[in-house]
Amino acid sequence: MNPEIVPTHRGESIREDGMLFVRTNGILETMVKAPLILAGLIIVAVVMPLQTSFSSTRTLELIIYSDGSTHVSSQIDVDPLEPDFELDLFGKSIDNFVAVGDAGFLLSEEIIEDKAIIDTFGSSSIIIDYDIHDLISKEGRVWTFSFDSPSDYTLLMPKNSVIVGMSALPNNMDLVDEQTKLDLTTGLSEINYIFSATINPINKPEIPNESPFNYVNVAVIGGPIIAAVIGAVLMLKRKQQKSSPSIIQTEPISEKQIEIKPSDTETIFNFRPEMREDDKEIVKFISDKGGQVLESELRKKFLQPRTTMWRAVKRLERLGIIEIDKKDLQNLVKLKKDLEEEK
Amino acid sequence: MKNITSFVLLILVSTMVLGGITNTAHAQNDPSILLKIAKHAQKQLESQINQDSSDKTKQLFKEGTQQVNALEASLKNNDTDLAKKHFLSAMRIFKEISQQLTNNQSPQTEIATLKVAVEDPSADLLRMQEYVDNLKVIAKKYSASIDFSELDDLFVTAKQQIMDNQFDDALQTISKIKQITINLNNEIRGHASQQEQSRAKEYAQKYLEQLDRLIENAKNQRLSEDIIQKLETARENLSSATDPHEIIKQIREIISIKEQFELTKNDRLESRVMQVEKILLKLSNSDKLSQTDLEEAKKTLQTIKRHLAQGEFETANELLRSLVTLLEQFRD
Repeated sequence: MNPEIVPTHRGESIREDGMLFVRTNGILETMVKAPLILAGLIIVAVVMPLQTSFSSTRTLELIIYSDGSTHVSSQIDVDPLEPDFELDLFGKSIDNFVAVGDAGFLLSEEIIEDKAIIDTFGSSSIIIDYDIHDLISKEGRVWTFSFDSPSDYTLLMPKNSVIVGMSALPNNMDLVDEQTKLDLTTGLSEINYIFSATINPINKPEIPNESPFNYVNVAVIGGPIIAAVIGAVLMLKRKQQKSSPSIIQTEPISEKQIEIKPSDTETIFNFRPEMREDDKEIVKFISDKGGQVLESELRKKFLQPRTTMWRAVKRLERLGIIEIDKKDLQNLVKLKKDLEEEK
Repeated sequence: MKNITSFVLLILVSTMVLGGITNTAHAQNDPSILLKIAKHAQKQLESQINQDSSDKTKQLFKEGTQQVNALEASLKNNDTDLAKKHFLSAMRIFKEISQQLTNNQSPQTEIATLKVAVEDPSADLLRMQEYVDNLKVIAKKYSASIDFSELDDLFVTAKQQIMDNQFDDALQTISKIKQITINLNNEIRGHASQQEQSRAKEYAQKYLEQLDRLIENAKNQRLSEDIIQKLETARENLSSATDPHEIIKQIREIISIKEQFELTKNDRLESRVMQVEKILLKLSNSDKLSQTDLEEAKKTLQTIKRHLAQGEFETANELLRSLVTLLEQFRD
């Protein structure tokens, strides 16, 4: 490959600053070969999603206990072509290690210092759970959680703990059973906390009275209220239309609704004959509980991990059988009074 | 032509760059949570600072409060970057104050706090409860008739003992729980190891199919007899292995041969094929995919495998992508 550098034409004058310019036309085509770059980029673009789809952490959840130990729970995508998977643990003092494969079967593992070799035998996704004692230190009454995370994760702080130092910026914060839950990002985070029995973990910040009139705040607060009022009016109108026999039904048949009582599970099952057996059990349980339960109650009842139960609940929501509300920052799962066709 | 090439190049580069950006774009959903955390820390520390606290501590608290006020102001001005800076500064100061307050605390109070923390085994009990819950789920999967009732009773007893501040008794109960859990864990692992053998064999069978395709491809590409011979010997060894550890050993051997002769370039595609097979299996059990669609998907998968065996990786990749896109619609 010879770079084709074409000197300036002898007739062309050299600039006053004495700099010599050369034409570079044609270098790209002959030296680097644009089609080659194009082909290379296409291959990179095509292969990239495949490369990133193996051995990556899908979810990572950490729970801090009051004695400074931490529970780690993670779902990891692994290469199904590999017979085993080497997992980097977050420390060396590990307890209660459990690895589960695709179909929920227990996987054998060998833990050597801060590594676990798990026999995956073709699993494409594994769930691991363990307790670790290396992530938290204590000085006086200040506890310090220090963690260099390979992926985004959630962190559930212990009850009655108050965060008094933080080196990372959380994405989100929630209250789960009176415990603060933070969404944190990849990388090193240090969180200092103390225990207090007196103050509620999250107090809403006081908005000072002297604050100037803020149109953005008004829009943010007022917007949803107006939307809710309009929604309620529309719903009332629709209900009135349904209850009035003299009005001719103009809605298409696909949007028809069947009204049911919370306890009438047979109607639901007849309406959705394709529903899975395990989902039917969930519906029965909700119905027995008067038509609404917390998602955490469902997890306890059916002994399912958080992600599995969340999927089941979302599945039922898609089928138009349940609706999900928030109660004390927890998910409240309610049987819908009106069954409607899948959207 | 040049313009078209440049245009395509530009689109590809922008897609890749934008693809990279989207990973980080979701950070910091609601900046107002920074104010909640900072104010909560401020209130907590304010309640602990008293007349006896040092001037340095009081001064630090003043600075921390200023940072919180500045954080609040930045949020009002929608200046998130500045808000983040003030948040980190405030939290750094509050951490320092907490450490100072700890150092100034009377030793008696400190010892008393530590004693309670050490004696109260609530966390230990919670950890065991979480572990046992996990084991229950696994035992259910194996349909193993394992009796957890004794453990359940012991958990109730331990909780009651902790509530009554009978920590020594609770520790003894937890110790019993641990012992029973070890036995139950061994029992479950016994059930698991029986099934592991059949899972390992099933996996080896899948791997052999992939290896067959690789050998056929190697023959088509007229690779040296030596390489083909090595692969065929490895195939023989794997097909005769029955013990899970032996299977792993043989597959490691094959991987090493593949790496030695640079035959790993289509492994990613093979992995993806295995993943798609699993998705198909799940979907066939869930009735989400109609019988016709399912049959069609299975046929496509066979075609993909054939293309792989013939070394037509691009065609195989394209078909695989369409199939994955189709199946993703039906996944949970």
